Amino acid sequence: MVRALQIALLQVRIYLQDKGDLAFSLLLPIVTFALIYGAFGGQTQFHATAHIVNEDSGGTYSKILLEQLDALDELDVELLSLTEADRKLERADLLMVIVIPEDFSDGLVSGEQVQLLFKQRGNAGQEGQIVRALVQSVADDISLGLQVQEQVIAALVDGNTTIHQIETTVERLLDEERENPTVAVAEEAIGSSPDAVNQFLPGIITMYVLFAIMLTARTLVEERQLGTLERLLTTRLSVGQLFAGKFLAGISRGFIQTVILMVLSYAVFQIFTPLSFVSALLVALVFTGAASALGLVLASAVRTPDQATWAGVFITMAMVMISGTFFPIEEGSVMEILSRISINTYANDAFTTLIAEGGSMADLGLEMGVLAGVIVIGLLLSRYLFKAMPGGR
Amino acid sequence: MPEEYLVAQDLHKSFNEHKAVNGVSFAIHKGEIFGLLGPNGAGKTTTIRMLSTVLEPDQGDVTIGGHSMKREADAVRNLIGVCPQELALYVELGALDNLVFFGRMAGLSSQEAKEQAKTHLALVGLEERGKGRIDKFSGGMKRRVNLAVALMGHPELLFLDEPTVGIDPQSRNNIYETIEGLRDKGMTILYTTHYMEEADRLCDRIAIMDGGQIIALDTPHELKAQIGPPEQVTLEDVFLKLTGRSLRD
Ligand SMILES: Nc1ncnc2c1ncn2[C@@H]1O[C@H](COP(=O)(O)OP(=O)(O)O)[C@@H](O)[C@H]1O
Ligand SMILES: [Mg+2]
Repeated sequence: MVRALQIALLQVRIYLQDKGDLAFSLLLPIVTFALIYGAFGGQTQFHATAHIVNEDSGGTYSKILLEQLDALDELDVELLSLTEADRKLERADLLMVIVIPEDFSDGLVSGEQVQLLFKQRGNAGQEGQIVRALVQSVADDISLGLQVQEQVIAALVDGNTTIHQIETTVERLLDEERENPTVAVAEEAIGSSPDAVNQFLPGIITMYVLFAIMLTARTLVEERQLGTLERLLTTRLSVGQLFAGKFLAGISRGFIQTVILMVLSYAVFQIFTPLSFVSALLVALVFTGAASALGLVLASAVRTPDQATWAGVFITMAMVMISGTFFPIEEGSVMEILSRISINTYANDAFTTLIAEGGSMADLGLEMGVLAGVIVIGLLLSRYLFKAMPGGR
Repeated sequence: MPEEYLVAQDLHKSFNEHKAVNGVSFAIHKGEIFGLLGPNGAGKTTTIRMLSTVLEPDQGDVTIGGHSMKREADAVRNLIGVCPQELALYVELGALDNLVFFGRMAGLSSQEAKEQAKTHLALVGLEERGKGRIDKFSGGMKRRVNLAVALMGHPELLFLDEPTVGIDPQSRNNIYETIEGLRDKGMTILYTTHYMEEADRLCDRIAIMDGGQIIALDTPHELKAQIGPPEQVTLEDVFLKLTGRSLRD
């Protein structure tokens, strides 16, 4: 066991020697984290630009609509011409443009139905759909005010009140209602934990861990080329100890990156409790072990460093793809059955249970069992393959 | 009758039908420097790899220090040190770190490994360069470290596979002196080379190998005496006479 630790230690020391490699592998989780933070962390408030073609320029109500949209915190308004809008939609520079028709103001005044035209590519994306809902609600608001006003005028106009008085009173009442809505919305922040982080962090962690496959896959061929493998095989070091050492080295390297990523997420997004954090570390450790064991299987099978790299990359990508880490997988589908092949699925499920669903280690029996099984089988298989290969033992 | 420390019996090894070693038998006496002399491709390295438990012979067995390699490979590994033909060092690490690491692999404690590493570095004239990274060393310095690593754990039997190939005369001389010093302390050494004078100077007995077989085995003096007065002929004459003048790969 001491000799296995010596091997692991040597491997880690070589890793620490290469400053570029070290900086890269430690910076990578930090940069990834910064990207997640940029994407989901900083802006918790929705914000978008509404691109509008106003064909009713000079119209009273298009002006009011634009003013009210501009007044919303969530929206900026950008005006453009119809030809410009068509060109940008064509080139997919924009996903949605709102066209205020020529007869917008006249139509509203005369009580006819008017149409706002939403020109869009596909479903306009999530952002487009939100913009559309916001614009629609502002337009509804304006038309509702107008209808109320019409009806009040119709009901009262024969009395002593002038149309002007009615108009200003209705306007005032509507303004008051807007200032002080009957149904108010209050926000209460509970931690700063946007869903997106919960949703993506497990996938990002598991992807990092899978790098361990590639790194471990290279270790035996590299030593073979250096000549040190053959030399080690003439010492008292047993092959079992050699593999144990490589396995530990793979774990420690992959684990360092994962810990950095998780500590940062904990500190900034508070997505963990102390207990779920420790649990997640344990999951990460076992998962890194499974990745290292698979890496050793490749290491025993490949002949050149290039083969090791490509086999490692291929397995990593395949595991990520079929696991549904980044695409939702329908329950009961073939993909779901297929995804059970990927160790990523189990780690991802375990992290999701801990991070997003508030579960505990007690809920992770299946996942941890499978990952531990992969470790055992991977180590045995790699040992067997090493025996079978030329120059192996 | 001197004690036979290593006995190789009828070793065979083929690579894809090509017979690299084809029925090799010899014995090495305790405390001698035994030379394996032969042109490139003769099968010297393949023989050493089999003797040092790296490669399994297709046929035949080896006994080292009374242990059969087939049945007691681990016991054999406790007795041997190997200086491979190609450098086998962790080039990103320092010389001392390499020695200490292989010392630990040879079963030394941390303390013992450090002490031996210093001694062996001094032996090959690198006591001042222990901290230097291997990839910053000259070819001769690397070869000397490669030899020093093989000495870690004080093996009873040392395999040296062409330890002086392609290095400067000073480094070569240092290696000769180191090897002679080790023999004087009682170490048994198997030395392969294709340099004739080297074998003549260092070896107590020499096996001449060609085409995977041993074609002559004796002391340098006796080998030379076979073709003329030993003072007038060189080993090279013997070698060319035995192996012919055709070119080798
Ligand atoms: N791993 C190997 N695979 C295929 N052929 C080999 C291998 N090792 C050695 N050989 C062949 O066996 C023969 C003997 O090689 P070797 O033992 O290295 O000779 P030497 O050390 O005397 O130069 C050569 O023809 C060489 O090409
Ligand atoms: Mg050779």
